[in-house]
Amino acid sequence: MLCLRRGRHSGNGASGEGTEVDYEFLIDDVLKKITLDKKEGRFLVKDEESTYEADIQYISPGIISILIGQKSFRVYVVKDNGKRYVYFQGQHFTVQEPADESGSAHAGVEGSQEDKLVVKAPMPGKIIKVYVKEKEEVRKNQTLAIVEAMKMENEIKSSIDGFVKKIHVAEGDLVGSEMPLIELENIE
Amino acid sequence: MFKKILIANRGEISVRIIKACREMGISTVAVFSEADRNSLHVFSADEALCIGPAPAIESYLNIDRILEAANKTGAEAIHPGYGFLAENADFVKRCEEEGIVFIGPNSKAMQLVGDKVRSRQTMEKAGIPIIPGMKRIPSAMAEYAAEAQRIGFPVMIKASAGGGGKGMRIVHSEKDLGAGLEAGQREAKSAFGDESVYLEKYIEEPRHVEFQVLADNHGHVVHLFERECSIQRRHQKIVEESPSQALDPELRAKMGDTAKKVIEVSGYNNAGTVEFLLDKNKNFFFLEVNARLQVEHPVTEFITGIDLVHQQIAIASGEKLTFSQGELKQKGHAIECRIYAEDPKNNFLPSAGKVHFLKEPSGPGVRHDSGIYSGCDIPIFYDPILAKLIVWAENRHVAQKRMISALDDYVILGIQTTIGFLKDVIAHPKFQAGETTTSFIEKYFAQWGGKEKTEEARLIAALASAFDSQSKSSGPRIVTDGDVVPSPWQTLGKWRLGGGN
Repeated sequence: MLCLRRGRHSGNGASGEGTEVDYEFLIDDVLKKITLDKKEGRFLVKDEESTYEADIQYISPGIISILIGQKSFRVYVVKDNGKRYVYFQGQHFTVQEPADESGSAHAGVEGSQEDKLVVKAPMPGKIIKVYVKEKEEVRKNQTLAIVEAMKMENEIKSSIDGFVKKIHVAEGDLVGSEMPLIELENIE
Repeated sequence: MFKKILIANRGEISVRIIKACREMGISTVAVFSEADRNSLHVFSADEALCIGPAPAIESYLNIDRILEAANKTGAEAIHPGYGFLAENADFVKRCEEEGIVFIGPNSKAMQLVGDKVRSRQTMEKAGIPIIPGMKRIPSAMAEYAAEAQRIGFPVMIKASAGGGGKGMRIVHSEKDLGAGLEAGQREAKSAFGDESVYLEKYIEEPRHVEFQVLADNHGHVVHLFERECSIQRRHQKIVEESPSQALDPELRAKMGDTAKKVIEVSGYNNAGTVEFLLDKNKNFFFLEVNARLQVEHPVTEFITGIDLVHQQIAIASGEKLTFSQGELKQKGHAIECRIYAEDPKNNFLPSAGKVHFLKEPSGPGVRHDSGIYSGCDIPIFYDPILAKLIVWAENRHVAQKRMISALDDYVILGIQTTIGFLKDVIAHPKFQAGETTTSFIEKYFAQWGGKEKTEEARLIAALASAFDSQSKSSGPRIVTDGDVVPSPWQTLGKWRLGGGN
């Protein structure tokens, strides 16, 4: 009997053997649905295409061995901030659980607009230079600021023709990845 | 021999030097910035001192604080590693004044090889081949044409204040020279505020080939053969190997002798590297001397069996070289890949953050020189090099396969690294064929997105994630987001001490 704590899943079995659990994951932003069914220590795995029988074991913390038929996979998994970083056979995956259905589609549309208008730090670093002032007019691809990390300078460019609405940082500030630096405004 | 050495560096090279000291029975002092309190080199050393705030200029480049640390701990010598103060002649001088041995060349030689113009003149006088070029900026445009004829086409126009490729232009014939010069001057003016440009011979399909040299304080100089470092990105070496596919025994001997001569005329001692450019017709030209231990030194250690850090320390303590040129042999083939905290799928943006999980590759002929561990933080303040993966095998073909296998076996989770990119570089047919030039990456890897993920791969990733999300009942896991790591007594379930279920 599985003891489930997290993830978007729904059991449809009543009890004992044959408890099916559905999972939905965003794997590098691609949705993947699978169903797991534990039977006599092994798993029946279903995806959109077929059903597999898998033997899954923990080897040590962060390392999982999966046997599907004779095929052997050694998979590394760590979890951080709601994301799982998964690696096997030379490939990396970022795995997330999808946001609630009710809000997700809506948030997606808003997000893309906001993405354009809020200029975010592409990486953790230090603000070396801010070239613009609030209310200043900017052109697409104009350099707005420079962020430095690990001895490399990166130019932050405007994605639109517009105005600078708000500047959140000053030269010398340390910023985290995805932190808003500058807000832009479309020309009315 | 020294009893205690201070290592004025951080990261993998600091750890590498600490290990060599331990093997030689020498006690070690690490220095660290406030951002590096939990870095690997700090707890690898016998003693460790904080020398200032995170920015390198206030810590790893702070000569006063480093000398203070050496005096306080009674370190008799300082090993500078590479980067930071490693090629700073003022630092070497201060060490000499304070009676602390600098593990590297003397300050006079350091000054000479550090001055590109002066060292070029010295080398030219000594008959060392240098890239033909103009000796000064002409006053009249007409002079350029005459100089271009003397040097021979194709020529390269270079900005005299330049660097980073700006203002650089290749001109193949006299009729294009005027337009090329005008454009070069315009570019130089806008990039550096100085429009002066000069001409240099353009080296076609160049390879970067360098020779490792050791010189003791008693006049003995040997070279430890070449390393080819043609695989570069933004003028940074990323893959190095030895032997070079471009050298035959005759050329190797000739270049080796030239490298030794460079060292002799510079009055250089300790370990150094003489860099050459090799053109497609096997002409070689002196570039510069790297007056330090190189990042890629393990390649040479593998093929010669000589530990270069041990040698550096022995030479600095006044010992004589214990082997002659004739006793040195190249054996097998070695390749090194530099592992950087950069995102190759996103224009190689630096990727600072936490290493949540590290699995180091291992096996016959595999060496991993590393400055990281599972759980360490990669600060934004320093060079993005995390580690180096070096392999050795009896020939190049096997070395290449071994490198690919080791890169596959190398797991760093939590930050982006260049591991996947390097694997494709090593696996590339042109690399396999030994057709390596300094434009290799530009030519074959201008766009790189990694391999397309298959549905099967996504299934495995989903399966592992689903299994991991049930981990409370199924087994241990690594938790890093503030959850408490489950105790083995909760997760091991049916196991009992002493077995017998």
